[in-house]
Amino acid sequence: MGPLRVALVRIGMSMAAEIGILLCSLALYARYGMGALAYLLGVGILTYGVGLLLPRRRWLMWPLIALNAAALLGARFLPLAGWGIAAPLGLSYFTLQSISYTVDVAQGKYEPERSVLAFGLYLSYFPHLFFGPIESYPGMKAALAARKISWDSISEGGARLMWGLFKKLAIAARAGVVVGSISAAPEQYRGAYALLAMLLYAVEIYADFSGGVDIVLGVSRMLGLRLSENFDAPYFSQSVAEFWRRWHITLGAWLRTYIYIPLGGNRRGKVRKVLNGIVTFLVSGLWHGSQYLLWGLLNGIFVACGERFKTRFRALNCALTFLLMSLLWSFFIWPDSRTALASIASLVTTFNYGELAANIENLGLNAGEWLAFLCCALLLWGHDLFRAPLARRFASAAPAARTAVIVALALAVLVLGMYGIGFEAQDFIYSRF
Amino acid sequence: MKKRKAFQTVGSVALVLLAFCVALALLTRLLEPKYATTLTEGSMISQYYAESGGHEVIFVGDCEVYANFSPMELYREAGITAYVRGTPQQLLWQSYYILEETFAYETPKVVVLNVNAMRYSEPVSEAYNRLTIDNMRWSSAKVGIILASMTEEDSFASYLFPILRYHSRFDELTQEDFLYFLETPANTYSGYQMNKAVNPAGTLPTKHVLASYDFEQICWEYLDRIRLLCQEHGAQLVLIKAPSLYPYWYEEYDAQIEDYAATNGLNFYNFLDVADSIGIDYSTDTYDGGLHLNLSGATKLSTYFAGILAQEYALTDYRVDAAVSAQYDEKLRLYDLAAAQ
Repeated sequence: MGPLRVALVRIGMSMAAEIGILLCSLALYARYGMGALAYLLGVGILTYGVGLLLPRRRWLMWPLIALNAAALLGARFLPLAGWGIAAPLGLSYFTLQSISYTVDVAQGKYEPERSVLAFGLYLSYFPHLFFGPIESYPGMKAALAARKISWDSISEGGARLMWGLFKKLAIAARAGVVVGSISAAPEQYRGAYALLAMLLYAVEIYADFSGGVDIVLGVSRMLGLRLSENFDAPYFSQSVAEFWRRWHITLGAWLRTYIYIPLGGNRRGKVRKVLNGIVTFLVSGLWHGSQYLLWGLLNGIFVACGERFKTRFRALNCALTFLLMSLLWSFFIWPDSRTALASIASLVTTFNYGELAANIENLGLNAGEWLAFLCCALLLWGHDLFRAPLARRFASAAPAARTAVIVALALAVLVLGMYGIGFEAQDFIYSRF
Repeated sequence: MKKRKAFQTVGSVALVLLAFCVALALLTRLLEPKYATTLTEGSMISQYYAESGGHEVIFVGDCEVYANFSPMELYREAGITAYVRGTPQQLLWQSYYILEETFAYETPKVVVLNVNAMRYSEPVSEAYNRLTIDNMRWSSAKVGIILASMTEEDSFASYLFPILRYHSRFDELTQEDFLYFLETPANTYSGYQMNKAVNPAGTLPTKHVLASYDFEQICWEYLDRIRLLCQEHGAQLVLIKAPSLYPYWYEEYDAQIEDYAATNGLNFYNFLDVADSIGIDYSTDTYDGGLHLNLSGATKLSTYFAGILAQEYALTDYRVDAAVSAQYDEKLRLYDLAAAQ
């Protein structure tokens, strides 16, 4: 077989694999409703078609952005007006990808994509459709171009997948049981209980969201794709501003590129910088849902003034940032801002720590489960603390050692994971945004 | 050189995977309930394999067979070799597959089916299914019983890999889990669960009026399949209804079974009607207020039924067979010892 023929066969196989991934993505998405699939296809066809026209008709960018924004806002606000509209799953993610592609092509950052296959994969690649990472078009294109399945990619992906499952099933699920018990009765559980819920939710949402992203990145790696990282041990941040650079990194990058910088960023004086930051966080709050506007505003304020309160003790800064973020997550725990604020206020008005200690096993976890949770959370903390050396050791490990890591994680998931009869599995928190 | 390295790599990965399988098997065994001191009914199904073969009578059914019929008394009375393959809340399709499995090990002359299960057309709970299925050996019968019994919350994978079901027991492990890690000791006498307690009958539940007394189609279907399976293996199917004071068996039920038995040339013995002739006294012969019989009641019922079996079916009196009687004498010694304690 000549070299040309070999090259052609490789191209053919690669294309077949990508067609397979695209079809699987669409088929899996269709399981969530044909209406949702039709909407996704509609957005895809429109963005692809308008993209081809954009170099000559730049103005077309605006109606497409308006349409996408209207869909997102409609999904957030229409339910408040009593319109029972079920937003297509992953709407927030593919809408942002559609907008970023449209803006970039209109601004001439890159040429519009002519390949339906490549564009289809960019918008609808199933693993990242529900909670990101939110890829830029060049990022996704580069990942697809460099796609290569090897022992390295399979073992790295397998370990990442297992680690994600471990975070979701052994840590987030356990924390979720207690948070669920406390948040179900906000009048009954105040003070120490509310604090416990906030601290546990901080762990839960991190283990849940980053676990979900680990699964996405792991599956993608096994398929030969390397997608963007979305977390960088955010709870080791020294301030709220740093936290947001290390949490949901791809959404942060999107907001910076398409909201903060177009508003003027930090180029128009200190007041405008603060205002631009607050507006960006308000948009972030809105992206999460209409009830998170106050949460977005508070984050914007903390980011603007947080650096001033940094101490020279790194551990103390970390602890304070963690505590502050835990307080802010209150808006995600309780159903409305009023209850969240009342729960925060109860931290200083209700002193019932003794009662909590006596009642700790009545919140859904027995002593053994608590111990398991603490051990698993400690493992997560250790992993985040030593993530760089651990990654290096894994990359240089022999195949048997890599396999051992994967199977050890698999056993940990099997034994310590919360799943099966008697346990109601919760969806990933970020899949509802 | 390169080839050798590749072999070494593949070999080491295979070893790790093997270690994973071993660890998984050990963890599964550790986390599975042992049914040694609590819920001992869960280990009944597996005790058969050590004793399989050579039985002329096999009982299938729910608690009404394993609590009420003692193979030791059948042997003592008429030299009958029998085994009770009863399990808690054994449904008719479960009886079918257990019987299918039994025929793979031996060919009894008589199969005794307790028809109480005709009342149930769907699984009562996943937990009951586990007591019957978990400890069965893998075979096509086990696959069949799982598929027929699964509830909505169940999954086939959790039967294939019980760790998926029992993983959360890691914080409930007791001494029993380590003590009986290798094997759960036998706690029945040829499938009979001995209970010597006396709890006289008191207030009984109210007899309810039902909207319909007709058995569901699925029950008839499996009763037919059981009949045909016995026919195929040359075994005579005998239908029984064990005695109980609880008012759960209606005359309308009885009439349907009698019709079925008459139509298909089967014998049906309803011991509810002859409890007095057997001599059952519910002030001394029950351990749970009249629902099941205790050792005293089971002895009376088994002795009575031994007479019927010996008279109506061409069964061998193994008391005159030196080899078999030697085995049964030892079994009887242990049985009597337990009864006397």
